[in-house]
Amino acid sequence: MAQMRATFQEELRELEQLLDVEADLVLRSLRAAVEALVTRDSELADEVIAFDDDIDDVYLRTHQAIELLLARQTPVAGDLRLVLAILHSNLHLERMGDLCTTIAKLTKLSADLPSDEVLLGAFREMGERGQEMIRVALEALHARDEELATSLIHLDELIDRSNRRVVSRLLELGPENLEWGLRAIVASRCLERVGDHAVDIGEQAAFLATGEFREFTDASHDPRPLG
Amino acid sequence: MESPQIDSTRIAQVSRGLERAEIERREKVFTVSDLAVSYGGKPALEDVTLDVHRNTVTAFIGPSGCGKSTFIRCFNRMNDLIPGAKVEGTVLYHGADLYGRDVDPVDVRRRIGMVFQKPNPFPKSIYDNVAFGPRVLSLKGSLAERVEKALRDAALWEEVKDRLKDGALGLSGGQQQRLCIARALAVEPDVILMDEPASALDPISTTRIEDLMHELKRDYTIVIVTHNMQQAARVADMTAFFSVVVAEDGSARRGVLVEYDTTAKIFTTPADQRTEDYVTGRFG
Amino acid sequence: MSRSRVWKNRAFEAAMLFAMLVAFGTLAVLLLDTLVTGWPQLDAQLFSDSPSTQPEEAGARPAILATLYLGLIVLLLSVPIGVLTAIYLEEYADRKRWWNRLIEVNIQNLAAVPSIVYGILGLAFIVRGIGIGRVVLAGGLILTLVVLPTVVVASREAIRAVPDSIGQGAFALGATKWQVVWRQVLPAAIPGMTTGSILALSRAVGETAPLIMVGAIVYVAFDPTLLGPYTALPVQIYNWTKQPDPTFQTLAAAGAIVLLAIVLSMNAVAIFLRNRYRKQW
Repeated sequence: MAQMRATFQEELRELEQLLDVEADLVLRSLRAAVEALVTRDSELADEVIAFDDDIDDVYLRTHQAIELLLARQTPVAGDLRLVLAILHSNLHLERMGDLCTTIAKLTKLSADLPSDEVLLGAFREMGERGQEMIRVALEALHARDEELATSLIHLDELIDRSNRRVVSRLLELGPENLEWGLRAIVASRCLERVGDHAVDIGEQAAFLATGEFREFTDASHDPRPLG
Repeated sequence: MESPQIDSTRIAQVSRGLERAEIERREKVFTVSDLAVSYGGKPALEDVTLDVHRNTVTAFIGPSGCGKSTFIRCFNRMNDLIPGAKVEGTVLYHGADLYGRDVDPVDVRRRIGMVFQKPNPFPKSIYDNVAFGPRVLSLKGSLAERVEKALRDAALWEEVKDRLKDGALGLSGGQQQRLCIARALAVEPDVILMDEPASALDPISTTRIEDLMHELKRDYTIVIVTHNMQQAARVADMTAFFSVVVAEDGSARRGVLVEYDTTAKIFTTPADQRTEDYVTGRFG
Repeated sequence: MSRSRVWKNRAFEAAMLFAMLVAFGTLAVLLLDTLVTGWPQLDAQLFSDSPSTQPEEAGARPAILATLYLGLIVLLLSVPIGVLTAIYLEEYADRKRWWNRLIEVNIQNLAAVPSIVYGILGLAFIVRGIGIGRVVLAGGLILTLVVLPTVVVASREAIRAVPDSIGQGAFALGATKWQVVWRQVLPAAIPGMTTGSILALSRAVGETAPLIMVGAIVYVAFDPTLLGPYTALPVQIYNWTKQPDPTFQTLAAAGAIVLLAIVLSMNAVAIFLRNRYRKQW
């Protein structure tokens, strides 16, 4: 039978592509935010903050597109799961964008404070990891790949380790770097949250692939160490 | 890392559908002002004002008895054939009065074609069905070419090209309706009116007809009446919602236009509560 | 089922069977009797010779020819006039006008008028009034009048049977009223009209009373011409039954068989056409 409802199929494809547009913006924002953080570049931080408007714009448009698609095409089955997965992922990407903005704001506040090489190294690593996770998550979504999606848990583990390293390093540095330390904790936490959101997108990819909506790990059953 | 090839206009279109402003930039095909229709003195439809724009699909939805079929028949003067029917108000077609003194209804119907609810192929061959219009209008040019083009545009050619001389009544319901569409296309109209074109068909044939409408609106202006509002949501650019108004003593029922806007607006944030009640299925 | 219901059922069935036997039985007996009686005289002579006072040499040739001529005249006149009238009444007439309503009511009445009345009127207005005399043409005209209402009614039914949606579809393409009628309604109604016309025709062929009124002379020994005296087969049969000689009775029966054959074959054609075109729907 020939392909039917071509217009609808087209609209679904374009909706999925909107996520890529948003992810692209988030990746750029993340890279720039971490760069600004480790090089203590206030101007770059300002750019990141301004850039969040672009991310919010795509977020809004994606939401409107979802609303319109649901109203007009009444998707069911796989199509409906796709739209719901995009709905959730859209939010997670937007939150990632906000986290990058927070990091940028922190950079501006701590620009003239002393820093530590170990910590900066950790931040760089977390930033790289985060970017990788965003790419993997989106790929898992497009490919409807459950295995790829669950692999995000391991990547998230790496970010969590880096986060713990940051905390222990800060404790080592002592109270004279308190202000900077507090800021650094928050920045580290933001980067760790980026990883969590990427995992959430992975959960959406798994839902899309299997029809089962579940968390990869329950907080109460989490075998990983705290902190 | 490459960015996907999407430009901002397409993003806007995906997110909001065809904007009202963009539709209104297109040429007005019909301009209706204060239209009222009555049958034998009894009002059927009142107070209708709207514009239909080129290369759009405009849908009329509403409960039964709201006058949407009556309204669509005003566009090709089919109401003239009903004794006792009276049309008041103005209908302009490309700026000219459709009901003007020196306007020939026959000429109107050549430019404004119609497809009916129940497929009504003539009891003749498939070829003769499509050829009927060009023959009675004495259109120039190769008849066989016209027939083929019409059947192709109606997405029926592949299925019937080897049996053009067979009787049209031997086709399935969905095929018959596409044949009726081909018949209308054969006279090269400007506008195609469809009065509940898919309500007598099965779901797959319905989807085929809807896909056809998406194709056809590139070259024609389409107006459809449908009692299936999901169909309007799927195919129409602009949607007009009609409702029934009952007189105080419960005697007279007449149709009125309640809301007319982009389909996106009607199905996401309708302005009138009656529209909201209808599209959510709360009230008929 | 209770016993009384069973019996009532069977009694009803028996009654219906009996009624059928009476009807068909009587008919069958009549036909058989005619066949048996007329068989001896059913030969080529019947068709080739003219009537004569000598029964052995008598034939019904002029009568048969005249009947066929009459049939032809009726066909050529009643069908066009009847069909066009039906088209006017169904498609063009404004039902609200009083004269159209009058015609509507009276068409059916006209079909029920006894044919002898037409005979009297024909005598007054056609034979004497126009003055063409007691000729084949006059007979044909009168028979046309007799069957015309039937043809009109049958044609109207045939036109009404064409679905309105066909007309709507044709109008929507930009056809004029005439084009719709000529190219869609009429072709679709032709099977019904044909059936109706042939049935009317077979009735005309069997009419006797009006022809006697306008003077189908009982003794014609020459081949008829359009404007000449004539006699028709039913009249010829009637004449022969009045003769005392028993051979003439046999001849009459033979003539009746021929007449029956003509009428039955016309009906067969009508049924064949009706069945053939019914498939199209």
